[in-house]
Amino acid sequence: MALFVAGLSHRNAPVELREQLAVDDDKVRELLRDVAATGVVREALILSTCNRVEVYAIADVPGEARTATFRQLCRHRGVEPASVEAALYTHADGEAVRHAFRVASSLDSMMIGEPQILGQVKNAFALAQSCETVGPALHTLFTQAFTVAKKVRTETEIARHAVSISFAAVELAKKIFAGLDGKAVLLVGAGKMSELAARHLIEQGAFPLYVANRTWARARELARALAGTAVPFDELATALAAVDIVITSTGAPEPVIRREFVQPLVHNRRGRPLFFIDIAVPRDVENSVNTLDGVYCYDIDDLKQVVDANIRERLREAHRAEALVEREVAKFLARLGDVEVIPTIVSLRERLEIIRSGEVKRTLARLPGATPETREAIEALSAAIVNKILHAPITKLRESSRAGSPRSWLELVHELFGLGRK
Amino acid sequence: MHQTLLTLAIIGYVAATGLALAYLVQRDELLHRLASLATLAAWVLHTSALVARAFELGRPPLASLPEAVSVAVWVVVLLEMWLERRYGLQVLGAFVLPVALAFSLQSTPMRPLIEPALSGAWVWVHIGLALVGIAAFVFNFAGALMYLLQERQLRAKRPGALYYTLPALATLDRLTYRTLALGFPFLTTGLLLGVIWAGAAWGSVFTFDPLALSSYVAWAVYAATLAGRAAGGWHGRRAAYFAIVGFVALVLTLGAGLLFPGKHGG
Repeated sequence: MALFVAGLSHRNAPVELREQLAVDDDKVRELLRDVAATGVVREALILSTCNRVEVYAIADVPGEARTATFRQLCRHRGVEPASVEAALYTHADGEAVRHAFRVASSLDSMMIGEPQILGQVKNAFALAQSCETVGPALHTLFTQAFTVAKKVRTETEIARHAVSISFAAVELAKKIFAGLDGKAVLLVGAGKMSELAARHLIEQGAFPLYVANRTWARARELARALAGTAVPFDELATALAAVDIVITSTGAPEPVIRREFVQPLVHNRRGRPLFFIDIAVPRDVENSVNTLDGVYCYDIDDLKQVVDANIRERLREAHRAEALVEREVAKFLARLGDVEVIPTIVSLRERLEIIRSGEVKRTLARLPGATPETREAIEALSAAIVNKILHAPITKLRESSRAGSPRSWLELVHELFGLGRK
Repeated sequence: MHQTLLTLAIIGYVAATGLALAYLVQRDELLHRLASLATLAAWVLHTSALVARAFELGRPPLASLPEAVSVAVWVVVLLEMWLERRYGLQVLGAFVLPVALAFSLQSTPMRPLIEPALSGAWVWVHIGLALVGIAAFVFNFAGALMYLLQERQLRAKRPGALYYTLPALATLDRLTYRTLALGFPFLTTGLLLGVIWAGAAWGSVFTFDPLALSSYVAWAVYAATLAGRAAGGWHGRRAAYFAIVGFVALVLTLGAGLLFPGKHGG
């Protein structure tokens, strides 16, 4: 009986193949039932996202189970099995545990640290549970994988820094203003991306929000959608004086925000910074605005640069996360191994305890005049002898289980001490 | 006894400073924890050194400038540990500990004890107030330095290690303003008491004492910054530059006092 994972992911399979094999929840249920019905697996879980299709399973003959499962999958999706076989990877035992932990922790994702994968794994787990293909082994594995994923998220910063332009803009705003509570925002132009950035800012407490657009109707529409106020486009200068963050995204060929608009504002702001997020191409904010005291202006390339730096940060943190996962895998395997030998250790102790207490009782019965001190000494002596004798076999059992080969030792101990059939 | 403890404390501060600076660059949580531990250990040693000294002298170890600086360092490190926890400012140590270390190195060679030229309750108040003021200005300086570094990062638009570790500009600006507003009254009262006392003791306010003279310069810089902040709407970069100039004047003040002993003794 062994754990294995087989599948294909963005690492080795092109999107054409992945999209052919990706299956929705209903199909996953169907597949799990079919695979379980063949009897080649004892437990199974199917994880299907746009970046990976994987089967985690417990089987007596992993190779056979793998082939059978993917043949089923190919049949369901009408794909030629040969084309899939070439792209499949398989990990067994410890490697499979490591893979499960890394996937759930988002270390194997296309964008390291992305938050969706954990939810997807949890969903796959729930699906398999509903099909009753999750047994004790997969249950232990995946509940631990969820714990490890959470640990990775809280103890490393792989998911901390923004990797999208709009979130990077929000992060920058926080680096300037600390909190965004009560910071006023002005949208100039009504693009999709600026709307997204504005939403993120509002979520962080930014308020109030103004929208200026050349088309008045569009300004009103967007203002309504974001619970803001529309302002006429030619009153831009007035609106600028009242806000802290400006997001520009007009299609204007020339800058709409010029240095001479902004310069007089600086003095009146008495130290409050002003932050321009210019996501328009060609740019809406004159470049030299950035040199004004307390004024910061990021164009789309600057934001991209921040995103790139953030991705490098994530990769840096990923090294720490990998080390953490490695430790967790080792711990998990050690515990799993102990689980296998613990029943034997317990019955071994019980067996010797029965012998010890029986012999002590008999001896004491023959010594009616023994003082309590003598009785205690006899108890202690016999217990010490038993413990000393047990020490070596128990240690050996634990070691063998950690080395991954407890089977023969377990049998030997059972045989030697007459512990009965295992 | 106290000299041994003090030497150990300084070794501890050296370790803490190194670790805090390493944390600033490496951003490894372990380094930060080690730095905090070293800081605490060194501070405890420092505390016992000061207590031992007080027993040896039979009075607070504040009469000569090196002694007073040592106590100032003790206050600064205490505040550093507290502020770091209170505001989650894990990088603070990297900016404050080097200053504290430089000060404590200056104050180590406890010169042969000179009987304090002054005595009486006023002296202790004068020294005590000035010390609190100086401690506040160490943080004022650290805040200003962090502000300028973070502002440079944001302007350069190339996020480096400091962009991630340093707090937001607004937070740092608030820190420098608050420490200025806190330190200034203490420094002012401390100086004023010194002037009044000097007038009473020596009959003249303007005796030539290098420490007194250069402390007036530091005071003037801080007064100008505070006025600019409160009334002129100074902020950010300009306020930070002034904070640094003021601190340099303050350091020169103490340096003058330590190197050219005047009436403050050395």
